Amino acid sequence: MKQLKVHVDELFKEISDSEQKTAIMEEVLENLEEKVWDLMEQGKAEEDAINKAIVEFGDILDLKNELGVKRPVKKNMTKLNLGFSLWGSVITIALFVFMNFYYTPDVIWFVYPTFAVLWWPLAMYFIWKRAN
Amino acid sequence: MIRSDIIRGHLDAIILRLILEKDRYGYEISKEISLRTDDRYQIKEATLYAVFQRLEKKELIESYFGSVSRGGKRKYYRITTLGKAYLKESIEEWKVTKNIIDLFMEGLD
Repeated sequence: MKQLKVHVDELFKEISDSEQKTAIMEEVLENLEEKVWDLMEQGKAEEDAINKAIVEFGDILDLKNELGVKRPVKKNMTKLNLGFSLWGSVITIALFVFMNFYYTPDVIWFVYPTFAVLWWPLAMYFIWKRAN
Repeated sequence: MIRSDIIRGHLDAIILRLILEKDRYGYEISKEISLRTDDRYQIKEATLYAVFQRLEKKELIESYFGSVSRGGKRKYYRITTLGKAYLKESIEEWKVTKNIIDLFMEGLD
């Protein structure tokens, strides 16, 4: 019967402790034990009975939902990403502009990398729009 | 194998019905369901406890500790007045639904 206790503990390990959880665990364990006794009375070996009870218990997902286990909520990071991309591209472009006018003032080339860099905030802008 | 998802939608009513007949505890209910359906439908215990939680939260059933079995104290459930009303409502709803579905499911072979 110790196996059952171990299994129930395992099933419930992700659920945060509360009075409700303890109560349900006790109830589940008690009922599983009764099932095992019942199966043994029908002629099953203890180990078979325990295995059968465990298998038939099923997926604990429903129970988790009822107990209010919070599903990980994906935070909406798109706005932050957009902000980061804007700042990042401004700084990068500023660097190109500086290099351009400081080292080669006769040739205007900073426009080319600027176009390339602008894809970044552009992509982030549309990701942000899609998320809203 | 039958489509258990259709049954799932009516588990609340099924379990309320069983508790209405008399106060019952978890394993007894799962056993009773298997017995009455000739093992054609077996409720998973995990689902059963989820239903208990839901029904108790909605105050359709209430629990109390009963006799001590070999393992420990059995937790029994009894139906509340609200639960009885809810069950009645569910039954009416089911009749209507069944009627509608039958319109399209019957008469062909």
